[in-house]
Amino acid sequence: MTVLGPELAPGTGGGAAGLPSAPLKGRSLWDDARRRLFRNRAAVAGIVVLALLVVAALIGPYLTPYAYDQVNKDDVWVGPLSGAHLLGTDSLGRDLLARLLVGLRVSLAVGVVATVVSLVIGVAWGATAGYLGGRVDEVMMRIVDVLYSLPFIFFVILLMVVFGKNFILMFLAIGAVEWLTMARIVRGQTLGLKEKEFIEAARAAGVSSPRIVLRHIAPNLLGPVVVYVTLTIPAVILAESFLSFLGLGVQEPLTSLGVLISKGAQDMELAPWLLIFPSIVMVVTLMCFNFIGDGLRDAIDPKDR
Amino acid sequence: MRPALPLILAAVGALLAGCGGSTRPACPAGELCLEFGNTGDLISLDPYKGGTTSELQAVGEFFTPLLDTAPDGEPVPGVATKWETSPDGLTWTFHLRDMVWSDGVPVTAEDFVFGLQRLFDPKTASDQASQIYAIKNSKAVNEGKLPLSAVGASAPDPHTLVITLEHPWPILPYYANSLVMTPTPKHAVEKYGDAWVQPQNYVGNGPYLPVSVKLGDKVVARKNPRYFDAAKICFDQVSFYPTIDAVSAERRVKRGELDVNTRIQSNRVEYLRRPGQMPDYVRVHPWVGVTYLAYNMRDVPALKDLRVRRALSMAIDREFLTKKLLRGGQQPAYGFVPPGMVDYKDGPRVDWADWPFEKRQAEARRLLAEAGYGPKNPLKIDIKHRNTADPSLVMPAVQADWKSIGVLATLTPNESQIAYEAYRTRDFQVADAGWVNGNNAMDYLYMQRSDVGTQNYGEYKNPKYDALLDEADQERDLAKRAEILKKAERIILDDAPVTATFFMVNQNLVSPRIVGWVDNSLDTHRIRFMCFKDAAARVAALPKQ
Repeated sequence: MTVLGPELAPGTGGGAAGLPSAPLKGRSLWDDARRRLFRNRAAVAGIVVLALLVVAALIGPYLTPYAYDQVNKDDVWVGPLSGAHLLGTDSLGRDLLARLLVGLRVSLAVGVVATVVSLVIGVAWGATAGYLGGRVDEVMMRIVDVLYSLPFIFFVILLMVVFGKNFILMFLAIGAVEWLTMARIVRGQTLGLKEKEFIEAARAAGVSSPRIVLRHIAPNLLGPVVVYVTLTIPAVILAESFLSFLGLGVQEPLTSLGVLISKGAQDMELAPWLLIFPSIVMVVTLMCFNFIGDGLRDAIDPKDR
Repeated sequence: MRPALPLILAAVGALLAGCGGSTRPACPAGELCLEFGNTGDLISLDPYKGGTTSELQAVGEFFTPLLDTAPDGEPVPGVATKWETSPDGLTWTFHLRDMVWSDGVPVTAEDFVFGLQRLFDPKTASDQASQIYAIKNSKAVNEGKLPLSAVGASAPDPHTLVITLEHPWPILPYYANSLVMTPTPKHAVEKYGDAWVQPQNYVGNGPYLPVSVKLGDKVVARKNPRYFDAAKICFDQVSFYPTIDAVSAERRVKRGELDVNTRIQSNRVEYLRRPGQMPDYVRVHPWVGVTYLAYNMRDVPALKDLRVRRALSMAIDREFLTKKLLRGGQQPAYGFVPPGMVDYKDGPRVDWADWPFEKRQAEARRLLAEAGYGPKNPLKIDIKHRNTADPSLVMPAVQADWKSIGVLATLTPNESQIAYEAYRTRDFQVADAGWVNGNNAMDYLYMQRSDVGTQNYGEYKNPKYDALLDEADQERDLAKRAEILKKAERIILDDAPVTATFFMVNQNLVSPRIVGWVDNSLDTHRIRFMCFKDAAARVAALPKQ
């Protein structure tokens, strides 16, 4: 882990609390990281493809000639590239392209929202525990251990029972489980970081603990956190498809990549396109995230190469 | 990392072997084991408490009712070998064979009397009891108005059972072979209480007995050596699997992991019949069953409005459901009583049955608007449905049909037993249900009686309807009786407390290795009449029917 000094904290143009901010002209460590990232072809391809997918998921559903839940009673199980349906239709005559775009949108949204939830809770929790140390750390991490032992499905079902079936809730549920690993990673990093000289300096300058955590510790955790985030998003997308399969996730007529694939697998022999296209999109999306994650790790943390 | 490699290779090898070969569970040497895909879990092994087709199938192997069921579904001698009726048709006398329970205690007429008393005991809360309210005083007992001893069943001696009726009921044998007329092992119930249905305490008089029950996995049953015809039983062991996912079950049958699965996802029948697939496995036969939606008229204000119920019923495109979506031979339903009744032909149809679909949609929109629902104030409703194959296909179509008349429906899939349990406690707005009972119109019409109990899911109450059914019960002329029943059916078609969507077909996947399976319109298949073709000696020993 390359330690970024407080002057190099991202997004601020340099300058941390209490220190005079001098405009930096030279190559910062972030510039290096960016250059390294853009030199990684796989990562760049990942970024481009993912950007295309995101745009398609955002505006695509408005452009398709059919709504995702529109039943076309005369076009049941139409194959791809035949007539009006580019990617074919399902057993209810619903246009696969429209459903795929909506499914992608739902999956990406689930992935991003749940990951942001896990990021916010995990970083705050882990950094606090790591920085404060001692008994506070003990208690906080034991809480994480206890939550870890709670079976995921059991937790989700419990939430459903208490709050009713709710799409938003599922995002939160997944995020609320995924933050545990994040908290552990962040705590471990923080334990190392807090012994560094710039933290000493901040402390000597009289900066308060919350501010040190927020301004000095958190930015330096970025490397491992970003990598972990890019790995969490695909994990969450998979978890969502699993929940939907069990009837706990998205419900008809809304769909997600996972639901499309599990339904498509059932009709595999009769309508292979219902499995093939969603699988391709799922694989491509997950690969993009993994490439980007790989690239970021290499860029931010060159020692690991 | 080096030592890990052989391990990984071994694991991959095992995985591949698992995928390629059959993962049929091991069967004890020298024995024959039947692996039976049973569609759903068995929540209760008590013969009076379960009502799903999965429970009727499996628990039906653990008990022999008063009469047994032949491979073609017809009642044949069971515990009773012969019976006679009094001239007025009100008293039936059954003569019982020598038979013992699985613990060696003799099965007596007293066990039947005790069984019927337990069935009608309000504490048992059996939702199957109302099928045989024809038995004298049974309804009053079930409602707690009379003591248990008032039930019209007596045992003058251990081998004679006398059943007295409220009204003549010539179709009694069609109920005597169902689980409601099984004896109950009085000695076991007295000893263990409700725990008598635990596998370690289980006492039955059927050809098989459950030895292990794992919810979500399987129920294993072994041959009952004390069954009266035990020598002729072919399979030593039968395992019942809750194969909720019909498509993966189909693959398990193909691999030889299962011998039977009692469900095929309808829209795959056509495909499975293709050469090279499983044409010799597919068994499709008309089934006396109706699939319907019940509207909760007790708790949902919108559904108390006849106009709303009519609009919702009208807007479902039954031709699309049956011909294009399911494609499994189901018939669109415009009445409630399925075809194939022995006592009832050409029942009435809903008044809008022959309207073009567009006209129905327009009328539905008009009715909804009249009831105060429109684009600005859409009707929002939840459909609770079973998560088995066909409802999972049909419900999104119903949802889309309703959306096109401006009704916003959400879907809540549940496991079958959980769904039915919710319907019984009225925890639903619109319920997707199926009903397969017998080949009598009354078996279907009685469900909407106001006094039928939990099975009237929507709590429909219409004294005129009840009165017509009572009148039909008293009528001994079958033609006149049918006319009265038609009037009754007309009422529920007009009032729409429920709306039928399609009439069922039974779809079984049966390995060609099995002999003794006969398709029948009741879809009842007793395993003791079946065997593997290749076990010639045992096939020869099968009971002759």
